[in-house]
Amino acid sequence: MNRRFFLKSGSIALASVGMSLSAPSFLERVVLGREVTGGRRKTLIAIFQRGAVDGLNMVVPYGESNYYAVRPGIAIPKPAAGNDETAIDLDGFFGLHPSLKSFKPLWDSRQLAIVHASGSPDNSRSHFDAQDYMESGTPGVKSTGDGWLNRYLQTKNDSRNSSFRAVALAREMPRALMGRAPAVAMSNMSDFAIRAGRQSATLQNGFEEMYAQQTKDMLGTTGRETFEAVKFLKNANPAQYKPENGAVYPTNPFGNSLRQIAQLIKADVGLEIAFTDMGQWDTHANQGNTRGQLANLLQTFSSGIAALYQDLGQRMDDVVVLTMSEFGRTVRENGNRGTDHGHANAMFVMGNSVRGGKVYGRWPGLKNDQLFEGRDLALTTDFRDVFGEIASRHLKTTDLKKIFPGYSISESNYKNFLTT
Amino acid sequence: MRKHLRKITVIMLLASIAAAQPLVRASKTPRLTDEQRIVHVLNRLGFGARPGDVQRVKSMGLENYINQQLAPEKINDAVADNKVKDLNTLTMSTAELYEKYPQPGQIRRQLQNRGVLPKDSAEAQDNQKNPRETPEYRQAIQDYYKENGLELPQRIMAELHASRILRAVYSERQLQEVMVDFWTNHFNVFAGKGADRWLLPGYDRDTIRPHAMGKFSALLEATAQSPAMLFYLDNFQSVSPNASRGRAQVMVNAPVQQPRRGINENYARELMELHTLGVDGGYTQKDVQEVARCFTGWTIFQPRGGAAAMAARGEDARMRRPAGTFFFNARAHDDGEKIVLGHKIPAGGGFNDGLKVLDILAKHESTAKFIATKLVRHFVSDDPPPALVKRVAAVFTKSDGDIRETLKAIFFSNEFNSPEAYRAKIKRPFELAISAIRAVGADTNGGPGTHQWIARMGEPLYGYQTPNGYSDTAESWVNTGGLLERMNFGLALAGNRIQGTQVDLSKLAGANTDKNKMIDESLKTILAGEVSAATRATLLKQVEAADPITKVVGLILGTPEFQRQ
Repeated sequence: MNRRFFLKSGSIALASVGMSLSAPSFLERVVLGREVTGGRRKTLIAIFQRGAVDGLNMVVPYGESNYYAVRPGIAIPKPAAGNDETAIDLDGFFGLHPSLKSFKPLWDSRQLAIVHASGSPDNSRSHFDAQDYMESGTPGVKSTGDGWLNRYLQTKNDSRNSSFRAVALAREMPRALMGRAPAVAMSNMSDFAIRAGRQSATLQNGFEEMYAQQTKDMLGTTGRETFEAVKFLKNANPAQYKPENGAVYPTNPFGNSLRQIAQLIKADVGLEIAFTDMGQWDTHANQGNTRGQLANLLQTFSSGIAALYQDLGQRMDDVVVLTMSEFGRTVRENGNRGTDHGHANAMFVMGNSVRGGKVYGRWPGLKNDQLFEGRDLALTTDFRDVFGEIASRHLKTTDLKKIFPGYSISESNYKNFLTT
Repeated sequence: MRKHLRKITVIMLLASIAAAQPLVRASKTPRLTDEQRIVHVLNRLGFGARPGDVQRVKSMGLENYINQQLAPEKINDAVADNKVKDLNTLTMSTAELYEKYPQPGQIRRQLQNRGVLPKDSAEAQDNQKNPRETPEYRQAIQDYYKENGLELPQRIMAELHASRILRAVYSERQLQEVMVDFWTNHFNVFAGKGADRWLLPGYDRDTIRPHAMGKFSALLEATAQSPAMLFYLDNFQSVSPNASRGRAQVMVNAPVQQPRRGINENYARELMELHTLGVDGGYTQKDVQEVARCFTGWTIFQPRGGAAAMAARGEDARMRRPAGTFFFNARAHDDGEKIVLGHKIPAGGGFNDGLKVLDILAKHESTAKFIATKLVRHFVSDDPPPALVKRVAAVFTKSDGDIRETLKAIFFSNEFNSPEAYRAKIKRPFELAISAIRAVGADTNGGPGTHQWIARMGEPLYGYQTPNGYSDTAESWVNTGGLLERMNFGLALAGNRIQGTQVDLSKLAGANTDKNKMIDESLKTILAGEVSAATRATLLKQVEAADPITKVVGLILGTPEFQRQ
């Protein structure tokens, strides 16, 4: 029985004494517009690129001659004015894949930062293990029961009892959000309902009544929360949502997820952690260069995120977008014009509070003798230092020890990509 | 108030007197009615009552029923056996599974090597698409599957899921199925990790089932040697750093992506933390390292099937043993002296080092306590009563880890039979789904339509990534998303909207045209009539519209009461 349960039971007990004394329910608070009175809430949108994106073609170290020597078939050409099929220059050494051109304005306005040569210190090249480590936040330790984002939620009491404090736009609860703190996973907001055709409304009333009567236990409390959430989503009417500022989301599952995250943020429901993912990055064969498989994936990826950014507009003051992938890919291209499982990778951090326009992290180099185990980009930034900086400076938690057990986070390891 | 206090004191006094009585006497606790005790046993020793089960147990006697369940090998199980008889993968060896259910990627490579399909790079002229997805490739691979009578590997897990669902629904050996579920979770293996989906049918059939009600030590040894566990916890690639490099690597058949050599501590750690001693069971990091050394060389021959698919068709006659089976690779073993939990394991022990470790762990008092705690949590209460855990652990130790004796100590205890334990556990999604199907007397083929609901409610079988397995306490399962899916599941089942599962509700409540009678009959069958007056009133309000029985049953399956067992 967790602490939250007692807190919530307390408020239910109050409610049963009489309406005048009752704490307003979640829905009532939303309706009464009280949700925003507790001050602005900071939100993190975490995006997982599952399958290990090729970070060296996503954020291209075009200043490395060895990059071109070992990737004869798949390298992204050096920036050349007037030629769209080249890297987009960032700082004279790194360039973006041309499919990421919608990120360039964010870079120019210093809202996009990159942490290169980052990732997990564990050298596993198994997708399964490496995703597990990145989501549990404990590289090398398999038995960690909960995810780092859930542990973040556990470090703070949620004074507003929001049912939507943590939402995964995903079919199953991602490992990063598993744990004691409540979180909701759904692939579509419209599925979060009683689904029984024409009878749905009547049956929902029936269930609601039955759960409302269970005043003394966890089932009753959670049932009440459930129906508040269902009603809220119904009122929000996801199908009618209109993105703002001319944003156009790509019409695919990734775009749909981001659109719904934007909608939840704008609804002021107390969303702190949003999570979604995108797959198919495991490009062992024919990954392509400026066109092809990886280019198409990056196009979906960047157009979705750029639309989200545009749609949220000024709200990006309170939002940070973080992208991650379980490991990088081999520096050399393989015999199938693809790349195999590697080590360090690149992460994007975006938001109005980001000190953007800079590639953070020490660059380890791509010469053969600089490679990790003779084949991969070496790691210079532990992903926990990136997560830690966001957890403390953006989400304002102080208990980093709990979020990253067995790892001593120190400010001196932060890359300082966030304003303090 | 004072009267109330006195009552509590009397109850406590009675409870302490009862606790001092022999176990058999304890079963006569007056506070649960006879019918409640039967319902309780059917819920906890099995997956809930089918229509008529309560009466059946009543006529044979509850104690007889429990004793019968403790000896599953003597129960005729023809109905369940018949239900699973067409699931072909259940009886296949791992090598056969690799042969008949190969990865499409593997077939593609073979066709490329034989020149039937062009190589990827030659095909990639326009760089627009992954050639694996071109219609030409897909067609060639599809044809190959057809011509050779092959099927996609997804089928393997679908059949394993179906067998678990079918046996849980139809088996008369209910306790056996509960224990299979319990141990599968205790010795968790994730189907999504690498080769494990080919290895899991054997894990269920040869590792878990034969030992689910036997000796814990035998079960432990079986899991330690199971390819599924060796793969899942990486021990198959754990090699002594002193092993002769070339040979050891070839024999271990390390995958191309992971040219790793050296000791892997993963299994050693989880073996002690999760399988035996428990996290506070008194081992050190040094013990983990020493245990890992003992298990070097415990590996799998051709863990990913290797040439199995082709070999069986005579394309590689050099096979010395079936793919995907356990073997001890002496060349990869660290043969030096080890010290495990204070026990010296002399140099030169070879394969026996691992066996010794398992023996030490199975007999350890921390293991008795850890297993007793988990069993009591599962069968009695989320907060295991310490006194009961102590007694059960003592029985475990005294009986040399005999699972039946240990269970008996739980089932005939005061605590198990107390009103505090009655309907005190929240069903896990698998338990909820199976108990609902049983309660309404539905007929199922156990197919993906049913398993998808179990997954949606949060408990896909063999779908838990980390080695600790699904939680056995309520707080992990009672959350908004999960609860909503439980209600939707009940409505889908009652509305006959689950593919592969049908229910005839007219049988359930007869042809009752009287609303009150219909509700009471339904409640009696599904919940032994035990719901609050308010819940019943809600149901009565719902029967006005058309198709009342579907609504009533759907709602009952979604009641707070039915989430409990």
